[in-house]
Amino acid sequence: MTDPFNIFSFFSEILGNPVIEEDGGLLGKVHDLSAYVQENDPPITGIIISSAHKARFFLSWSHVIDFNHGIIKVKKGSRESLESIDSRAGDILLRKGLLDKQIVDTGGAKVVRVNDLQLICRNGSLVLSKVDVGLRGLFRRVGILNMIESFLQWLFDYTLGENLINWRLVQPVGSNDILRLKFSQVRLAKLHPGELADIIEDLDQPGRARVFRALDIEMAADVLEEADPKVQVLLIQDMPTEKASDVLEKMSPSKATDLLQDLEEPQMETLLKEMEPEAAEDVRELLSHDEETAGGMMTTSYFSQPPDATVEEALKILHREAEDFEVIYYTYILDAEDHLLGVITIRELLISDPMASLQSIMIQRLAVVPPEASKTDMLNMFEKYGLRALPVADEDGSICGVIRFKALMEEVGPRIFR
Amino acid sequence: MHNSSPKNKHQESKAGARIWTRIALVFAVVGPGIITSNVDNDAGGITTYSLAGAEFGLKLLWYMLPITGILILVQEICARMGVVSGKGLAALIREEFGAKVTFYLMIGIILTNLANTIAEFAGVVASMQIFHVPGHFSAPVAAILVWLLVIKGSYKSVEKIFLGACLFYAAYIISGFLAKPDWSLVYQEISSPQPDFSPSAIIMVAGLVGTTIAPWMQFYLQAAIVDKGLNITDYKIVRWDVIIGSVTVSVVAFFIILVCAVTIHKHGISIQSAEEAALALVPLAGRYAGDLFAFGLLNASLFAASILPLSTAYTVCEAFGWESSVNCKFSEAPQFYILYTLMIILGAGLVMIPGAPLISIMFLSQVLNAIFLPVILFFMAKLVNDRSLMGENANGKISNFLMWGVFILLSVLSIGTLVTSFF
Repeated sequence: MTDPFNIFSFFSEILGNPVIEEDGGLLGKVHDLSAYVQENDPPITGIIISSAHKARFFLSWSHVIDFNHGIIKVKKGSRESLESIDSRAGDILLRKGLLDKQIVDTGGAKVVRVNDLQLICRNGSLVLSKVDVGLRGLFRRVGILNMIESFLQWLFDYTLGENLINWRLVQPVGSNDILRLKFSQVRLAKLHPGELADIIEDLDQPGRARVFRALDIEMAADVLEEADPKVQVLLIQDMPTEKASDVLEKMSPSKATDLLQDLEEPQMETLLKEMEPEAAEDVRELLSHDEETAGGMMTTSYFSQPPDATVEEALKILHREAEDFEVIYYTYILDAEDHLLGVITIRELLISDPMASLQSIMIQRLAVVPPEASKTDMLNMFEKYGLRALPVADEDGSICGVIRFKALMEEVGPRIFR
Repeated sequence: MHNSSPKNKHQESKAGARIWTRIALVFAVVGPGIITSNVDNDAGGITTYSLAGAEFGLKLLWYMLPITGILILVQEICARMGVVSGKGLAALIREEFGAKVTFYLMIGIILTNLANTIAEFAGVVASMQIFHVPGHFSAPVAAILVWLLVIKGSYKSVEKIFLGACLFYAAYIISGFLAKPDWSLVYQEISSPQPDFSPSAIIMVAGLVGTTIAPWMQFYLQAAIVDKGLNITDYKIVRWDVIIGSVTVSVVAFFIILVCAVTIHKHGISIQSAEEAALALVPLAGRYAGDLFAFGLLNASLFAASILPLSTAYTVCEAFGWESSVNCKFSEAPQFYILYTLMIILGAGLVMIPGAPLISIMFLSQVLNAIFLPVILFFMAKLVNDRSLMGENANGKISNFLMWGVFILLSVLSIGTLVTSFF
């Protein structure tokens, strides 16, 4: 088989095409194709051929020697291998079982019907790759695609876009000819960011971009935080600078920093310039440290208060803004020059007299690490004090950031269990 | 949407309670058949019946008996396909015959239903004019009423209102009695019919059949049954729903023909439309008979003006797989609501254009109905015989014989209507 890598065909363009033996004998026309749907990328397993006498036969795909632009050439003597049509376990007939069937979203609401199917030549076999749910697919089926296209081009200078859904995101539901989407645009927002990140990682790049574009900024930031670093980079590079910087602002500074460090220098600079100065400043601070040290791993998203604030005031702010902080277990008490004076646990804050000033209840004996502290240093400190987070302070005692135990574990955890 | 009917509780209940459960079950199921059939008596239907009675007297009255039979036969097929497959007719056509056929069919359905909707709004305007309400007031008010009904309502409330509208058809039965027909003469005409084979009589009969069995009905009936979540266990009641609906339609049609026959025809007055019939009735059968006749026309037109756009939206959305239900919000079923709204705006809007050729549009709607009916019947015949779809509920030999007979008869009548309309 000539294997033009990743050359795709539409199912509707294959239907009705002749199936020819090597020596030129006509077996019949393509009536249907069967595919093995137990696999992620279902390979085409056979052809249902309708012969001249309207009889229908099954021919295994292994007889195909050339598949080019929908014309199917099979081995000499394939005529002898024609079988009767019985359903094979795990196989689905594309025309009978998929084409024109209803697609519903995760909640069962109808979305659209299958207008066409896209097949891809991959490593010598033909694979069901995408479901066409767009107007292009519909017009192609009706046979007026070219006409509509040139009309729209001529009158509105508008090009009708493809609307394809990856097969992996669609699953046939039992009986009644229904395909269910694993996610829907409307309901994307209801999925957990981690789940969504997994789905996105499973997709090819255009598919990722498609799903990702459908998310709002907040959700995109959450999903990006959960995604694999390589995928993060691809997604950010695919976004317009303006949106990318908005998303980065919504991410935690440490995660945003990690992501930016993986980008090319000029692109990182462009994004930093586009970001709000405050958020950009946090990131720059983090970027200046070695990734392997406390300075490189800390977050600047912690909750701090002046010493003369009352418990009630602190709680009120925390209540309102807790969502924005990566570390809320501890309230760090800072003076006007950001010197770390003390710390209050959230438990202490909750049980103290609301009118009490923070400096009256704060703990002054502090466990602190310098920005240059190594992972081992930090681990030792965590072990010694049993803390959830560790402040990082420079020589004159002003706070640079906070190391979360969880963040440290993410760094060293894999090494311990290896 | 899915009305869960308390079937399995049947055995547990005591004899007295069982009757009530049964009655409740019946009320949970009836609706689609009765509503669909009654909408049949729309502005076009009432006009045709009036003209039949005014021109031919009691002579064509007996035709209502075979027409009722045909109506039941056709509707039963749709009802059966609905409960067995759980899918509407448009969905079945799309899945079995593919995108191309469906695409062109939908264009045809939209145009046909639009012409019918315009005719309904024209009926609203005409009947309101009898009560001295001008058209540029009645048309928009009717459009907004009809639109709000579906936008604000749920399936249950909408169905209740539609069933209520069915009761108002009694107006025609009352006006029939007010006209004081000679019942022995009526009995004589029906018991010993004398077929009239003059060309004008044949055209009129074709008109009667065509107006009683319309293409959109088949889609609406099946979709309504599916939307109500009825399945094969409800089939017995669904069939009665269809039969009762078809019979009531014919009873109403019977009385319309009767009224016009014993008054307008007897006095040799010539009429062109249903509102002329209503006006002509006033001096002949009294003010109440005329007003009831006009009120019946208003009710029927309003009723059909809300069902036709709804049916169009259901049908098209089904064919292309878009969400469609009265119970959805706009954001959940945008295509459904846009289609529904557009049909009403176009329908009511075109009626309001001064000097719009309403008679021609009404005529066009009948012609389009005639073209599409055989096509739809053909698809229905193919589908109901598909054993992989219908299983043991596929058509038997006798029902197939009857169905193809009806198909040929209706095709001939349709072609006849077309030929006579243009020559």
